[in-house]
Amino acid sequence: MMSILLKVENVQTHIGQYHILQGVSFEAKEGQVSVLLGRNGAGKTTTLKTIMGLTPATSGTIHFQDKEITKQATHHIASSGIGYVPEDQGIFGALTVEENLKVAMRKEDDAALARQEYVLELFPDLKKYWKKDGGHLSGGQKQMLSMARAFINDSKLLLIDEPSKGLAPVVIEKVMEAIVEMKKQTTIILVEQNFIMASRIGDTYTLIDDGETVRSGQMSELVQNEELKRQYLGIG
Amino acid sequence: MELIINLLINGLATGMLIFLLAAGLTLIFGLMDVLNFAHGGLFAWGAFSGVWFYGLTNSFTIAIIGAILTGAVLGFITEKIIIKPVYGNHIQQILITLGFMIVLSEMLKVVFGPNQIAAKTPPLLSGSWEIGDVIIIKYRLFIIVVGFLVFGVFQFILKRTKIGLIVRAGVMNKEMVQALGINIKQVFLYVFMVGAALAALGGALMAPYSGVVYAEMGMEFAILAFIVVVIGGMGSFPGSLLAAILVGLAGSFMAYYVPALSLAVNMMLMAIVLIFRPQGLFTAKG
Amino acid sequence: MKNKFQVNNAILLVLVAALAVFPFVSDSRTWTILLTQIFIFSILAMSYDLLLGYTGIVSFGHAMFFGMGAYATAIMLNRLEPTLSVFFLSIAVGMVIAGVISFLIGLLTLRLKSHFFAMLTLAVSGLFLVLAEKWRTLTHGNDGFTFRAPEFFKDRMMFYLLVLACLVLVYFFLRRFVHSPLGRVLIAVRENEQRTKSLGFQTLHYKVIASVVAGVVASLAGSLYAISLRFVNTSVLTMDITLDALLMTIIGGVGTLIGPIIGAGVIELAQHYLSGLAKEHPIFERWIIFFGIIYILAVIFFPKGILGTIQYAFWKQKNKIPKVDVAAPSRKELTK
Ligand SMILES: Nc1ncnc2c1ncn2[C@@H]1O[C@H](COP(=O)(O)OP(=O)(O)O)[C@@H](O)[C@H]1O
Ligand SMILES: [Mg+2]
Repeated sequence: MMSILLKVENVQTHIGQYHILQGVSFEAKEGQVSVLLGRNGAGKTTTLKTIMGLTPATSGTIHFQDKEITKQATHHIASSGIGYVPEDQGIFGALTVEENLKVAMRKEDDAALARQEYVLELFPDLKKYWKKDGGHLSGGQKQMLSMARAFINDSKLLLIDEPSKGLAPVVIEKVMEAIVEMKKQTTIILVEQNFIMASRIGDTYTLIDDGETVRSGQMSELVQNEELKRQYLGIG
Repeated sequence: MELIINLLINGLATGMLIFLLAAGLTLIFGLMDVLNFAHGGLFAWGAFSGVWFYGLTNSFTIAIIGAILTGAVLGFITEKIIIKPVYGNHIQQILITLGFMIVLSEMLKVVFGPNQIAAKTPPLLSGSWEIGDVIIIKYRLFIIVVGFLVFGVFQFILKRTKIGLIVRAGVMNKEMVQALGINIKQVFLYVFMVGAALAALGGALMAPYSGVVYAEMGMEFAILAFIVVVIGGMGSFPGSLLAAILVGLAGSFMAYYVPALSLAVNMMLMAIVLIFRPQGLFTAKG
Repeated sequence: MKNKFQVNNAILLVLVAALAVFPFVSDSRTWTILLTQIFIFSILAMSYDLLLGYTGIVSFGHAMFFGMGAYATAIMLNRLEPTLSVFFLSIAVGMVIAGVISFLIGLLTLRLKSHFFAMLTLAVSGLFLVLAEKWRTLTHGNDGFTFRAPEFFKDRMMFYLLVLACLVLVYFFLRRFVHSPLGRVLIAVRENEQRTKSLGFQTLHYKVIASVVAGVVASLAGSLYAISLRFVNTSVLTMDITLDALLMTIIGGVGTLIGPIIGAGVIELAQHYLSGLAKEHPIFERWIIFFGIIYILAVIFFPKGILGTIQYAFWKQKNKIPKVDVAAPSRKELTK
């Protein structure tokens, strides 16, 4: 029986005077890849930010490992085991690859170093450009660095926002392979506009439209539902 | 030739004092997006408390340490009471830090009296060396050495230690630093205290250099430090050193050759930089 | 609504009338002088409020416009002849200079973000101070110079009435200004500059207009101030003048015009009494510290100032609104 790792219930979020999220609910089961889908501007990024506490929810609840984290500070949420890979990757441009990873590493113990070894095997490019400034990496390398950085702290859950955005097909392929590999060790919530990729690696889906959850279910079911895809994703 | 060397040393010494003030200002700005108009008040408090501790203990070392601690404590109070309620609101920040500047300067007058106070140079650092025709005043050289030392230590901390990495990362992207599990508020407080301590150190070193301390010196030096921070680029530590030296040298050479323009030149420099290159000559955001 | 306006105007009229007859019924010279001073600083503070309260701009250089007016009047009365026509001409000259300079500075600097603008105004006004200190043939630097005021002002009462008239005129002018369509754009800039821009307004132009008007009015205050002292020195250009305007505006209430007048009254009166007290208790020599603290508390807890807080309390009582603001409109509602 797979347990529920993260449960988002009827979350609403305001940014300034704008009511952005108006009822988002879904859950992520342990060991699965849950994909958030929806049009541009639907509220997927805001959903991830709200989970991280960067744009805190104004109502509703978020539970992680059965503990409520709705009102917690971002750094508490992160330390409790959630890694975040933002849409713009959030690389520290003037820090080297090594330093980017070092900032992230909360404890420099053997386990962390072992995980570092593991991500470097996963992303050999990072090892190659170990001393290069983050700002000078290619888009794909930044994506890999950002994922490595989120993974390095024994995160139980990774939030990954549009990792394929702006990347060449070959690079997308690599990034997706890495996600499949990471899935063996952790749970993932993925925002992905590329439906082919999303359907290949996703176990479940949640459709968000206009700041609200429209529907959730097994990915296999969505793949066959042409109507849903046309209405909310503009495909098919 | 000896004139040039003397002007150089003067300019460098003044530049280093401005640097100590500007270093904290630039880090606080870069990291917290707060422009602290009360920073000059911390400088003046450093100067007065340095003189006070020196009079009390007759030890310059203790005077310096006392001033640094005073600065750190005031920095703690400032961050907790004055800055914290207004993070993110620039207008309120400007208004409140300026108000606190008034309170800090007036408090100086309450505690130490309204008149200026003479400051002595410690015997070990008094006098000068003569090398040929060149007379080098020991205390000025001392200030320069301390300035470079502080720069070196901080550069090391920023480049080589974990907390330094966090501060630099925070200057670039605060949200991401928090999302990596770091309590940025805590880091803000430390950086603010360190910045205040540096300003106080600058003030304490300034006292024997100028011979007197007075409450208004805070605002006078703060204006120079603002100029430096703008020219050097907000948030850039090396930028603030270079700009401080530039401003110090410009001040000392102008004061000799075109005294009427000495302050004006620096302000014009800042105005030009602000208008044409508002991000400063150096930039920290990567 | 209309009714309330009329009531307010009636109250104002009565107040003004009372103030106008005051010097005729009371023969206290001290009070006449003190009130004159309050009126002059009220004009300055209102001009500052136009920037801070209505447009959301923090300038640390407002003293330079005040100083321009003061020097224009002092120098012209001194160099030409102390007559009323020269006096009025000097006011006009001061205003034109202040207008031109604030236009140029505004055009160059108002595009900067708030703290850069604050710093730059600090520096530019510092430049004017240095200029005044060095250009001794014209200004006599820090020592300053005395000059003869027009014969007409020999009678303090006449000057008092003139200043009161200026205050009333400036008040009604500024009130018209902030309630005009242009003024509404300024308020929109204060609330959210980005949004105002995206609605198609050239916000820079509006900010420049606001700073020119503020500069011109401040210059008028400076001209009157010079006459009131019959003396001028570089202190009219110092940060202290800007700080006074700032304190009066914040403590009285930003964005209200009447607030700054109240602030000017409170601060001038307090300064008068506290410096009197200082002769017995030296701690009161540092009276400004109390204002610094009140000011800080005001910025944190009562950002609306005395008047704004009272107004808000009344309004809340009348409308019985719940404590929380009404929920912001949803995105759906906005895009409908
Ligand atoms: N800081 C903000 N201020 C105002 N509106 C915002 C802000 N951030 C996002 N939005 C709005 O919220 C909506 C959802 O944005 P986002 O979560 O980024 O969508 P998605 O990631 O699904 O493309 C969009 O309409 C966007 O314009
Ligand atoms: Mg997005």
